[in-house]
Amino acid sequence: MSKFTDVLENKVMPMAGRIAGQRHLQALRDGLILTMPLIIVGSIFLILGFLPIPGYEEFMANTYGDQWLTKLLYPVGATFDIMALIAGFGIAYRLAEKYNVEPLSAGAISVSAFLLATPFEVSFLAEGATAAVMVGGAIPAALMGSKGLFVAMLIAMLSTEIYRYIIQKNIVFKLPDGVPPAVSKSFVALIPGAIVIFVVWILRILVENTDFGSLHNIVGEILGKPLGVLGGSLIGSLVAVFLVQLLWSCGLHGASIVGGVMGPIWLASTDANRLAFQEGAEALPNVFTQQFFDIFVYIGGSGATFALVVMMLLRARSQQMKQLGRLAFGPGLFNINEPITFGMPIVMNPLMIVPFILAPLAIVITTYIAMSTGLVAKPAGIAVPWTMPPIIGGYLATGGKISGALLQLFNFCVTFAIYYPFFRMWDRQKYAEEQGK
Amino acid sequence: MRILLCCAAGMSTSLLVTKMEKAAEEQGVEAKIWAVSADVVRNHVDNADVLLVGPQVRYMLPQLKKLGQEKGIPVDMINTMHYGTCNGAEVLKFAKQLVTK
Repeated sequence: MSKFTDVLENKVMPMAGRIAGQRHLQALRDGLILTMPLIIVGSIFLILGFLPIPGYEEFMANTYGDQWLTKLLYPVGATFDIMALIAGFGIAYRLAEKYNVEPLSAGAISVSAFLLATPFEVSFLAEGATAAVMVGGAIPAALMGSKGLFVAMLIAMLSTEIYRYIIQKNIVFKLPDGVPPAVSKSFVALIPGAIVIFVVWILRILVENTDFGSLHNIVGEILGKPLGVLGGSLIGSLVAVFLVQLLWSCGLHGASIVGGVMGPIWLASTDANRLAFQEGAEALPNVFTQQFFDIFVYIGGSGATFALVVMMLLRARSQQMKQLGRLAFGPGLFNINEPITFGMPIVMNPLMIVPFILAPLAIVITTYIAMSTGLVAKPAGIAVPWTMPPIIGGYLATGGKISGALLQLFNFCVTFAIYYPFFRMWDRQKYAEEQGK
Repeated sequence: MRILLCCAAGMSTSLLVTKMEKAAEEQGVEAKIWAVSADVVRNHVDNADVLLVGPQVRYMLPQLKKLGQEKGIPVDMINTMHYGTCNGAEVLKFAKQLVTK
């Protein structure tokens, strides 16, 4: 067993540290966070639009007119549907910050470059016409949302890399001495901005001469599809959860590290479900969305430790575990479990690492089976924050389905059964220590 | 003394903040203690005398130590056991040691 912790300490930890410290991944994660408050606000309107109360629709239509739903969902269009725009800005901003160059201009240039990569046309099917035509002069809303997310991410990285390179090489406009410093400062972003725009412009023109037609199509084919398969498969999700647990076992914030890579993929699948849900589709496309993990798997925090907290409160014999249970219950309700991971501890504790890895893997499988067979509703793309207490979280994430809450309850029981024998062993050991004192 | 704490989302460290505040009050120490997420540390570090980092984001320690050097304040990781058990008094003591060193 000590060999096992040796491997964790000497192999896994330094590698995880390097990956997690990688500035592009950090910028990606920190930049995407910028979209979260907006998406959560949009989710509130989404929930209000689809309250599962009999007679609700009729009541709303009678009170506010036939267009009530369209009007209610206006904010959804300005939150969910522009996530790529916001994310592109956020990622460029955070990356520039890490290079110690002016972040605000980097963000603005990145937004401009992203729009430059996007053809300003939308397909339009006129009434009575048989074929859709492309209409110019409109920014395609679809590409500003999750569909444009990967392009926005790549452009943000590319443009900020160019931007900081030029600034760090000190290629800036030198204005004559008489010019006030504030004026010359305002020109600092001019050369890097021009070069970024030029590069993306050339890229777009080159791509337009290929069969792909636009950068969005290329990125969708080359990056979006394979990543979607990876993130949307049971195996891919099990691997992701395993890595999260392994990192936490070393005491590192696994969700935050793995989220840097998987976050955009799960966000895109969350939004695909949201679009289908909003259109009233019978079957939602994805099982594995951000909420699948946040709400249904990590009940009580990474490792699904809420069951463990309840055990400590109800069944612990050692004073240490009893006290920890009392301390960890409040945070645990909101899926925060550092008191457990560091206090029990689970970190570097070979006995507790076993269920800590097994329990969430088991409920990934139960949740997957329950959702893909249709027994339980899939997450409806509603961005329920990860701090939402269980039961309520499952109900909201599925768009107000009782089955979502029941599944959380079921998963809680599964994790309880897995943790229990290990908990007993640990508790007994602690009890013996206390009695020996 | 102004103590800044940081972790991934600033949530579990905020738990510790309340315990540390209590400990400071009991000891009659005047302290401003607050917790933020790792991505916004930069915006807060100018107002702090010491920066304490949650053990789960210790991979950011080298980066944050560099930031601390620039700003001239001590930066270190919180002891995992003190962190897990939310031991406000011990962490406060640690912060004091770092500042007076």
